[in-house]
Amino acid sequence: MAVKDQLAALEAERNYEHPIYDVLARFPGLDIATTSVDALLEWGAKNSLWIFPMATSCCGIEFMAAAASRVDLDRMGTIVRGTPRQCDVMVVAGTITVKMAPRVKRLWDQMPEPKWCIAMGSCAISGDFYRDIYSVIPGIDIVVPVDVYIPGCPPNPESLMAGMMRLQERVSLKRAGKPVPKDERPETHDKTIVPKIGRFEDRIAKDPNDRTTRLQELSARTLKVQGLELPDESGE
Amino acid sequence: MAVAETPPAAPVTPAAQATPIAPVTQVAASTGPLVPSGPPRDGPIPPIRAARTPRTDCKPTKAFVPEPHLDLSTYEADADLMTLSLGPQHPSTHGVFRVVLYLDGEQIVKAVPYPGYLHRGVEKLCEKLMASNITPIIDKNDYVAPMTNEQAVNMAFESLMGVEVPVRARYLRTVLAETQRVASHLLWLGTFGMDLGGALGGGTSLFMWCFRERELILDLFENLTGCRFHYNTHTVGGNRHDVPAGWPEMLHRTLGAIDERLDQYLGMLEHPIFSARTKGVGVIDADLALELGLTGPLLRASGVDHDLRRDAPYHAYAEVDLKVFVEDAGDCWARSKVRIEEMRESIRISRILVDNLPPGPICSTKPLKMVGQHKLPPGQVYVGIETPRGELGTWLIGGGANKGSSPYRLKIRSPSLHACAVIPYVLPGCSLSDAIAILGSLDPVMGEVDR
Amino acid sequence: MSAVEARVAQLEEIFLRFELKAESDADNKTGGPLVPRARHYELAQALKEAGWTSYVAVVASHWLEEKKGETVVDVEHFEVATALRSVGAGTLVAKWRVRLELNEDIDSLFPLFAGADWQEREQYDLVGVSFKGHPDLRRLMMPDEWVGHPLRKDYAIETGCAPWR
Repeated sequence: MAVKDQLAALEAERNYEHPIYDVLARFPGLDIATTSVDALLEWGAKNSLWIFPMATSCCGIEFMAAAASRVDLDRMGTIVRGTPRQCDVMVVAGTITVKMAPRVKRLWDQMPEPKWCIAMGSCAISGDFYRDIYSVIPGIDIVVPVDVYIPGCPPNPESLMAGMMRLQERVSLKRAGKPVPKDERPETHDKTIVPKIGRFEDRIAKDPNDRTTRLQELSARTLKVQGLELPDESGE
Repeated sequence: MAVAETPPAAPVTPAAQATPIAPVTQVAASTGPLVPSGPPRDGPIPPIRAARTPRTDCKPTKAFVPEPHLDLSTYEADADLMTLSLGPQHPSTHGVFRVVLYLDGEQIVKAVPYPGYLHRGVEKLCEKLMASNITPIIDKNDYVAPMTNEQAVNMAFESLMGVEVPVRARYLRTVLAETQRVASHLLWLGTFGMDLGGALGGGTSLFMWCFRERELILDLFENLTGCRFHYNTHTVGGNRHDVPAGWPEMLHRTLGAIDERLDQYLGMLEHPIFSARTKGVGVIDADLALELGLTGPLLRASGVDHDLRRDAPYHAYAEVDLKVFVEDAGDCWARSKVRIEEMRESIRISRILVDNLPPGPICSTKPLKMVGQHKLPPGQVYVGIETPRGELGTWLIGGGANKGSSPYRLKIRSPSLHACAVIPYVLPGCSLSDAIAILGSLDPVMGEVDR
Repeated sequence: MSAVEARVAQLEEIFLRFELKAESDADNKTGGPLVPRARHYELAQALKEAGWTSYVAVVASHWLEEKKGETVVDVEHFEVATALRSVGAGTLVAKWRVRLELNEDIDSLFPLFAGADWQEREQYDLVGVSFKGHPDLRRLMMPDEWVGHPLRKDYAIETGCAPWR
């Protein structure tokens, strides 16, 4: 399956519905409470975004600085936890390599719904100047779906805070547990720029005889990065 | 894990009681059933080893046979082994680093590290770039101390090209390197406090303190270079940014404030819980440290009196009287002590040098703008400097097939790589909780290990 | 005689024993003398006994075939440079190089310096030089399934776009 189709499937899976709606639907007459429950859930979700730091490199240090005394990210209700099982937001801070990408995918899968992902820094967005390097994933959004991109190398703690506020806006764009369709969104939220970046497969199509791209493709296939499958780790 | 039917572990022999910290070689060399050695957890805290005089004539005194590759098939203990994969995403591995631990109960029998989760191919990238473009990329290697990274690579270029650095730039580089050392050690101390968990009043309080101080130094650098984190302030032949008005006073204010608080941190070393978690844990003796190519605070904490700043002075280190701190125990506590004392010394040097900053130009070359403006002559040089983590070296090969201004091959000798290579030698025999303390005390930066 | 001068004299004496000429960085930047492959281990051992106890680095580089006009000046080969450091006052780096043909391997220094373990694994991984006598020669940086050795010169990084240049 191509990466694009897999990403579409990933996005479709994220149409999460809170179990409380089952209860509401079971009792006739309680449907009218849906709106208030919506508001309550939304308020709770956006003010308690617990962060799972996928901090790999330099951006991880700025992430720590954001969580530390001067900027204090905790005042927004975000608490940094070391385990994916308790968290809502994965902040990918730093370069992701082909060796690390399957682990990122596995940790993302371990997070409970609803969940969001922030790509912090140029490396996580596009690979930055490591983009053409044999071992670097050019942008984390070929592995996990990304909600907010925070540019910078690395972004200041203030930028991270702005990104978190942007994510709070995004969280509030949910109705009845489902994301609001794009055409119904307010105008301000429609301006999110998703970077348009060529991927491995595009480049392979460009020049099939290039030795490097062939080697990269071969290695990527062996590693199943494109297939987003995990290598068997039991043997190590 | 051990099941109920298993007989109790072999009794501790009197010899083992006399020396509670089993040497690494003992664990590896035993061919029979491998009994977990090391101190019992519920007993008294083992004393650190008897003090020795610091060694200056470092010659190999005994035939040291390292053997980290323990064959697990020889392991015949009754309890089964449990395999625990620590990392690559774990808060205490300081980045993305994976150690596979083989545990017998809580004792580590074998530890196999797997680096390479942040391999970004910097050396390959540098083969395509000229010197002024390499500097901001080298910044990202050791992202805790970018200043010293830049200096290491630019000094290699200066050495190969034969470029002289003005006196003022040499003084300024020394000030920046030493201030960066303080910031780097502060970050280490904060994360080390987090690693030790609740040992220091709630875990994150030390982290908060250290980042409060570190932000002051980042402000200082931001005033000078305009960047908070990756500075790109060094270039071939000098520095880009001269000292702005009022900067020396700002440096005095900042470092003075940090200096006052260092006593608190030194007092913390005597905290009973901190001592219990670090004293006698993860002992690296001088022979092992030298064998493994350890440098910097790790080597000095093992009792080897070696510091490139004093022994092979570069920058303006020859102008100051540098005190080098050597601890003899070689455990986590000694490494903490050495780093905190180094901070005080760095503050002292920076404050002296910034007062005596000589006038003159800051850079001896024109800014590199065009490809081919400066040609790299063919040849090979190695330049090593003392960063907060140890000897960071750059092996630069010029000329070759691409006869431009980009290097033919650039190899970075990173101190963190050697620090991580210690793990299979030190972890066996420790308990799982000690492993976290040892990993934290090594202070590896994964960007530098994997590059 | 200062500590550094003593070390320099000692290094020259050892290199003379191996019929080599010690070259300092200040004079000619060659990365040390070329040593025959068979004497590589022996030289490291002699240096270690003389006090060069700290392992600094091993650098393998890949050199493509060099042509001048139509004639082949130099064939494709590897070059492995090693550096050791003496510890304490007057510290000095001792460097030498070994030329390897494509199918040759080099003696591992792991029996002498445990610190050579990971560095040699890294060079094996990235450049593809194999070290004889290394107990555990696996890839260090790249995954085990990786194809090719990235730091070789024929493993180019120019792909579709190179925007930073």
